[in-house]
Amino acid sequence: MTAQTAAPVPARRSWLTVAWVLMRLSAILLVPLVWVHVVIQDLLIGVHHIDLDYVAMRWASIGWRIYDAGLLCFAFAHGVNGLRQVLEDYIHGRRTRRVIRVLLFGFWLFITMLGAAAVIGGVRS
Amino acid sequence: MQSLAKFTYASTHYRPREGMIAFILHRISGLAVLLFLSIHILDTSLVYFYPSGYEDFMDAYRSPFFMLAEIALMAGVVYHGLNGFRIALFDLVFPAAWTIDRERFSVRLTIFLAFLLWLPAGIIMGGNFIGYTFLGW
Repeated sequence: MTAQTAAPVPARRSWLTVAWVLMRLSAILLVPLVWVHVVIQDLLIGVHHIDLDYVAMRWASIGWRIYDAGLLCFAFAHGVNGLRQVLEDYIHGRRTRRVIRVLLFGFWLFITMLGAAAVIGGVRS
Repeated sequence: MQSLAKFTYASTHYRPREGMIAFILHRISGLAVLLFLSIHILDTSLVYFYPSGYEDFMDAYRSPFFMLAEIALMAGVVYHGLNGFRIALFDLVFPAAWTIDRERFSVRLTIFLAFLLWLPAGIIMGGNFIGYTFLGW
């Protein structure tokens, strides 16, 4: 007689599952996006040559604005969700977790709005 | 918070193998990069909200402390990116590759490649650090 195996139970897809997949998809996207950014800004240009004029010149091109908007959206959301994962490894209380999620969402929204305002508004003279 | 104490105890009283080393490095580098990223979005937003404040930030970034921190940040960005790519590749494309042997080999390869990729960046930034700090560039 053959051993009976249980039929696989389809896992319920919660937003946590979606977040898990998005962390990995954004990771693949972020490797080229972030690496190109740091190679240009930190290695080719260097912090000693970055000033308001440089930012204005870069953002004169809509392509770089879209590039930086992509960095802002993907990198920061990936980072804040990563921080949530780290915190939830050590904090298990239901209510505490809910408080943390609300606070982190507020933090993400606030910083993202500031960054978005700059990418859209550009350098103010 | 008890689990944080457990984690700290385990991390210091147990000799970690490749998987746990990769995990600890991923966590530390991720938190460090996020810390800088948060500050970096704020400083960049100053070009719109308070342009002269942006120049003050750039002056601070040109200080010896931040130039050294930039070299460490680069190591974090390279390692976190490569290791994250490894995790994404295994989880999404080759889940069957999550065996102990492949885990250990892939971690060693990741750390080696991260060092290799970071090295030229470290040399360039280290040269800048010496030049601007001691040679009056």
